[in-house]
Amino acid sequence: MRINKFRLMTYPYIGWIIVMIVVPMLLIGLYAFTVPGNDVASVKFSLDNFARFATDAVFLKVVGKSLWIAFLTTVVCILLGYPIAYIISKAKGNKSMILILLLTLPTWINMLVRTYAWMGILQEGGVFSSICAFFGFEGVSLLYTDFAVTLGMVYNFLPFMILQIHTSLAKMDNSLLEAASDLGANRVQSFLRVTLPLSLPGVVSGITLVFLPAVSSFFIPKLLGGGQYVLVGNVIESQFLTAGDWHFGSAISLIMAIIIIISMWLTRKIDVQPKKEN
Amino acid sequence: MKKNSTVQKIARIALAAAALCSVFALGACSKKTDSAAASKYGSDTLKLYLPGAYTSDTLIPNFEKQFGVRVIVENFDSNEMMYAKVQAGDKYDVLIPSDYMIERLLKQDMLQKLDKSMIPNASELTDAVLNLSYDPKNEYSMPYFWGNVGIVYNTKNVDAEDIKAGYEIFQNEKYAGKLYWYDSERDSFMIALKVLGYSMNTDNKDEINKAYEWLLKMHDTVKPTYVTDEVIDNMSNGMKDIAIVYSGDAATILNANKDMSYVAPDQGTNIWVDAMVIPKNAENPKLANEFINYALSYEAALGNTKAVGYASANTKVLDEMTKEGGDFASNAAYRPRAGFAKDEIFHDNDVIRKMISELWIKVKAH
Repeated sequence: MRINKFRLMTYPYIGWIIVMIVVPMLLIGLYAFTVPGNDVASVKFSLDNFARFATDAVFLKVVGKSLWIAFLTTVVCILLGYPIAYIISKAKGNKSMILILLLTLPTWINMLVRTYAWMGILQEGGVFSSICAFFGFEGVSLLYTDFAVTLGMVYNFLPFMILQIHTSLAKMDNSLLEAASDLGANRVQSFLRVTLPLSLPGVVSGITLVFLPAVSSFFIPKLLGGGQYVLVGNVIESQFLTAGDWHFGSAISLIMAIIIIISMWLTRKIDVQPKKEN
Repeated sequence: MKKNSTVQKIARIALAAAALCSVFALGACSKKTDSAAASKYGSDTLKLYLPGAYTSDTLIPNFEKQFGVRVIVENFDSNEMMYAKVQAGDKYDVLIPSDYMIERLLKQDMLQKLDKSMIPNASELTDAVLNLSYDPKNEYSMPYFWGNVGIVYNTKNVDAEDIKAGYEIFQNEKYAGKLYWYDSERDSFMIALKVLGYSMNTDNKDEINKAYEWLLKMHDTVKPTYVTDEVIDNMSNGMKDIAIVYSGDAATILNANKDMSYVAPDQGTNIWVDAMVIPKNAENPKLANEFINYALSYEAALGNTKAVGYASANTKVLDEMTKEGGDFASNAAYRPRAGFAKDEIFHDNDVIRKMISELWIKVKAH
């Protein structure tokens, strides 16, 4: 009887999942596999939307570019985020709490506002170009370049990476390191053979949290890359908002969902390895 | 459709926060209603749905004071967003959509006729905005702002001879990297079709494909930066030399930067009108008619045009603004040209919209 009562408590959660995740996914699937018909009653199933996507070089190029930018963002986030997370986890007492606070402080401000701020910094006549002008380089503008987009993405997603890595580093048992040095390992060896493998799960969940939003983001590339910076998110946005072609938009969304599921499955494969060694 | 600068956007966020606070404050301390207004109009509350930053600061408070009513204002970013909400059944008393959207709303029987007897100020409207194809007798709509699309250019850096080419300057390699293009498939194809001498409302696929090729060539030769609202700030600061801009925004740029000038090219352009309409499901149509009449009045229209910079639909206001000593006295962009044969009003076409939307993405991703 008691077990049943607990089971009852999961019903709201299941209801939430059905309404917020399952039904929308089914709708996207329905839209993706149908073509606009003349009346509501007749639903025409078709693979036209997918064929249209797969046979168009421009769309494939856009997907490639989105994956590349997301990959670049993730790599930079790991390279920058890991040392920072390491430093924070080694900090004593209050210090690490303050560092975490400083790290999360900017995320209290809306993402859109922060991206607008970057526009002001990077554009011609902005803060950055004024500094360059001081050193004799006139008219430098970084706005609307690959660099600006990657910078904006890394800036927005870096805290997710750091926090994930920090969590797995912070819960690591310090006696493992002591044991490693007892057994004659130097600091580099004990880092490579103890700390790094144990922190990999954090890196992996960090990758998930950075790569997924990066691959589908659309306003950062739009604002910092200019309108010519077309990523998959922008194509989906325009299909829904301006073209009004929900069928094609859904098909692209579904394709992206599949790509994301595959990449999650791949990252989980990395996750499994350190556990095997145990 | 009004486009906002970055500064205005931030100001709007601040204003929204302030408005939210004042709503709570009002709700907390007083629920005063004016029974006189309630008995005259059937209700003392008017719900307005209009583009952001589209009125003077005094328009709404003055109307509330004068008629003893309360006005609830909601803003939208695009006609499409407004359409989605109204179609979903949200109730408003007055909307201010653009011409083509009014055409769509009318086709779907979503608007009600205006009570012309309550709108005597309609006589002050300028001829150029009256009896247009989207509402041939103005039975359903009253113009609010209007304008066209043209080129803002820096007179110091652009040869007067080159600008005579009109939109063709966007294929002049001399200016590569120094141009802004407005990131909208509708305006982009309007321009390309006009350059080629076609109607902007064509449904001939060959003509649209030729326009697509023109845009591709433009993209490859001059590599413009595609922007939307940022163009106002950026051109005011003189960051680039040439840009496609809405006339109302151009008027703001020209007032901010004396080096800039504006031209609506001889190839023709799009004349647009944003007008006030009353949806079928309005709860307070009587007060809505009263508001429309009020917004058309000389004082209200003057305040609006001064604050927003868009061309007023009121003849006297237009003259006042452009006469010597007026706010837009020597401003080439403020008053849109009227009666130019190659200028057209935009018509919404579902099939073409999908087609050009996809082609436009392909131009940008090329």
